[in-house]
Amino acid sequence: MALAQISCRVGDKEHNLNVMKENIRQAKQKEANLVIFPELALTGYMCRDLVYELAEPVPRGPYICQLEEVAKKESIHVIFGMLERSEKAHATLYNTAVLVGPSGFIGKYRKTHLPTHSVFEEKRYFRPGYQASVFETDIGRLGLIICYDVFFPEITRLLRLKGSQLIACISASPAMRREFFETLTVARAIENTVYLAYVNLVGVENGLQFWGGSRIVAPNGKIISQAKYDEEDLVTGTIDYADLERTETFVPALRDLRPEFFDLLKEHTENL
Amino acid sequence: MKLTSDILKLDLPSVETRIKQFIRNYVQKSGANGVVLGVSGGVDSSTTAAIAALALDGQAVLGIMLPEEETYSVADAQHAKLIARKFGFQLEAVDISPVLRSYFQSLPIYDGSDKLSKGNLKARTRMVCLYYYANRLNKLVCGSSDKSETMIGYFTKWGDASADLSPIMDLYKTQVRQLALHIGIPKEIATKPSTPALWPGHLAEEELGIKYKTLDLILFGLEHFMTTEDIAEQLNTPIKIVAGVKKRWLDNEHKRRLPLTVKLGYRTAGSDFRLPYESR
Repeated sequence: MALAQISCRVGDKEHNLNVMKENIRQAKQKEANLVIFPELALTGYMCRDLVYELAEPVPRGPYICQLEEVAKKESIHVIFGMLERSEKAHATLYNTAVLVGPSGFIGKYRKTHLPTHSVFEEKRYFRPGYQASVFETDIGRLGLIICYDVFFPEITRLLRLKGSQLIACISASPAMRREFFETLTVARAIENTVYLAYVNLVGVENGLQFWGGSRIVAPNGKIISQAKYDEEDLVTGTIDYADLERTETFVPALRDLRPEFFDLLKEHTENL
Repeated sequence: MKLTSDILKLDLPSVETRIKQFIRNYVQKSGANGVVLGVSGGVDSSTTAAIAALALDGQAVLGIMLPEEETYSVADAQHAKLIARKFGFQLEAVDISPVLRSYFQSLPIYDGSDKLSKGNLKARTRMVCLYYYANRLNKLVCGSSDKSETMIGYFTKWGDASADLSPIMDLYKTQVRQLALHIGIPKEIATKPSTPALWPGHLAEEELGIKYKTLDLILFGLEHFMTTEDIAEQLNTPIKIVAGVKKRWLDNEHKRRLPLTVKLGYRTAGSDFRLPYESR
């Protein structure tokens, strides 16, 4: 797979699409069968009120259709972030990760945990998603999460229990959060004995600096591939799903899960 | 969380890299030919000018000294020239005394004994000059406000804080001094007492009635949602002092924002009209 760590022009879908197309082409040249872009790669992250004019329905929107065509033409799977508009309620938007492939649109995941603190105001603009999404593809069972989701072990756990072999975490993480993400991406991979691919934005939007540092984490927590910090980069890495079984026998965290804790978690979360 | 000087320690290489990247990115996106900034010889403007020169290269940075007869300091001017030479940026001087004298003569209610109003006039005159240079040369005005003065409103409204970008505005004064030493600002400049120099003998810590090493810890505590009681206890400082700083911080929000208006429309600038700073 290829991790396409790009910077975006806020609000300029045409520019960002061209950057993505070029990265897809280069990823294909490097023989990748999957290329992953960051959160909201199509529009940039700090769009604020512009989200209403930039969002499009998924899968029928004009720019996602173009990315579908590229994926078909290059015969490659692509994961990327974009603004999604509900087809039923037009001011209802989602922060969405989309998966397209050689056969076109495969599926989408709507970010379930929306950060609204510090510099983040996602609950202002987005409705949260309600599904944990795992997709059966020719390159394995792929789960999707977005950025802040990685702080919540529950969703990654659910994706793993639903059969994910690789979880892609696409992200727009600003610099002061780097240590959290570097710890949590490894933690989520280890506790689920799953491959985790993390792809972050770089560049500066509205004074907010994204730190890059995209990586592929093995089920045992080792970093297989690591992109640069603070610069655009395209790195590749190869994963072998056979390692999942080898790691699980060494760290049988899934085997030893205690389901009764989940009922207690629900009860105590509701009473926070 | 323990409020000691250690808590203000920075990862200096990382901070330097991030500030440089911010300046480069902003200037490049704006299409400007670089930045212009007021250089007083003080630690804030010296650090800002130096780091801008490191980010953009010296040719793109124009420092302007804006002295006036009442507060002119030979030592400060020499410091400004030293920094310009060391970091390779251009430096010009514009004596604003004639402009000020015109104001004093033209303003019907001018009163020279009102130190604060007169001082603010100087700060705003400097801002006007910098923006003239910026407009003529297609440069951005780079501010050198730090976080300490920004939080307590220790600046002139629409004066010295007015700028197109403000690279050290998220660093406390004590942190600016750390950064200054790290990037090679001579110690005599990096550690010299801070002064807005709006009237003769004007020293920041005297006017504020508190040393920056204490003020910065109080502000850090407030930034991190600590109560005045907790801050006072940790710093072994009278609660009245901490409460005074907090009041000053809260009372000066008006200086940090667009002028307030009454909400009458669908979306209102400065309130819920939220657009990206740069788009397309």
